Amino acid sequence: MRILAVDDDPIILELLGQFVEIIGTHELLTADSALDALEALADPDIGHIDCFMFDIQMPGMDGIDLTKRIRETARYSDTPILMLTAMSDKRYIDAAFAAGASDYVTKPFEIAELTSRIKIVENAAQGKQQRTKKIFAAKSVADQSKHVELFEPISIYDVDNVIEYTAMENYVAQLSRSALFGSTTFAFTIREIDAFHASLSAFEFYSLVSDVAEVLSDTLIGHQFLMSYAGNGTFVCITESGWRPDMAALMDAVNFELSQTELFDNHGTRVHPRVSAGNAVRLIWKHGSSVMDALADAHSSAEAASLAHTKSLTNFWQVDQRA
Amino acid sequence: MTKLMTELPGIERIRTRFIEMLAERQTQIASYGLAAWDGETVEEINSNLAGAQAILHQIAGSAGSLGFEELGQTARNCELQIVDHLAGPDADLAICPIELISALDSFVALCRKETDALS
Repeated sequence: MRILAVDDDPIILELLGQFVEIIGTHELLTADSALDALEALADPDIGHIDCFMFDIQMPGMDGIDLTKRIRETARYSDTPILMLTAMSDKRYIDAAFAAGASDYVTKPFEIAELTSRIKIVENAAQGKQQRTKKIFAAKSVADQSKHVELFEPISIYDVDNVIEYTAMENYVAQLSRSALFGSTTFAFTIREIDAFHASLSAFEFYSLVSDVAEVLSDTLIGHQFLMSYAGNGTFVCITESGWRPDMAALMDAVNFELSQTELFDNHGTRVHPRVSAGNAVRLIWKHGSSVMDALADAHSSAEAASLAHTKSLTNFWQVDQRA
Repeated sequence: MTKLMTELPGIERIRTRFIEMLAERQTQIASYGLAAWDGETVEEINSNLAGAQAILHQIAGSAGSLGFEELGQTARNCELQIVDHLAGPDADLAICPIELISALDSFVALCRKETDALS
């Protein structure tokens, strides 16, 4: 991999240089400020960068703003970005993920942790083309026609607090290091997503998912949260602010907003997506893999609610109140 | 000492560079601390404290990786004390708490100990 590391401390850049030398066949490029990095990236001779490593706190433009700038470019819209942080304040880490970071490593570094994070990034970079499709505001004809499987996670850009699914997994894995007292995970599933998937073109499907993400994000605004599209019509959310969402009320609010939003397919026919909400699962006193299990519970409960709703349409006598 | 310290080749060269920079950085921190202590306006005090905090942040980030755990932890504690003050209720008052200056003084003394030991 070709890695671009940006840190205002020359000692950190030297350490990373030594580190990259011993872990394998990577090439490290460095910049000591965000502006230098952007200037270097604007140079056509720099070649492709496979991974970025950004210090969060830098004078001038910080690593969070640099991440936003990088994500705005089509070339690096989904290139892994590993944040380097010495801060224990989670607000910075949350902001970095919301800006588009893929993962983070805390300073001082330890070989084992840094190696494992780089390995995850390397695997993600290699597997990305197979697992994740992209949405751009202006997609090429080729991209529009690219098929996406129903179960595939989709990267959604330019929607506040929506991050890639792999970044969400990394974020949740890192959560187990800190207190989970105020953390809750919950999910929404677009009802009859398989019918939408079957009837819409790939681009229309991308657009539908993206539009629903926007409505969800707008509805959740005012709360601290991160959200990701996990595939199969399901959005997984996590909040750490101590907020305990009322899922039935939230689902109603989302569906009301969806009813007020005019969404059309390419033939001008209006589409009417609605969501079902799963259970809000608290993460308190969970650790390690049980945090991931909680995420899976939230996910599957939303899908079950969506299925129950679909069944209720054909079986009048079995109506689930929430679905 | 962290695993990074013991396993990386070329670490001695980086440690030497770090100590050379530490001599310069401790002087900068002391200058910022004195200027904050002598400052008469909120802006003067807070900008000098922020200057010291930025350098402490760098030291805290790299010292531990190079085997200077105590130095890194002390830098982190000083940094957090300044961050707390700048985000606290007294941040808009022209006050430089003696506790901050005392913490910076202890940190500079620790830097001198490290630089003297390796010079």
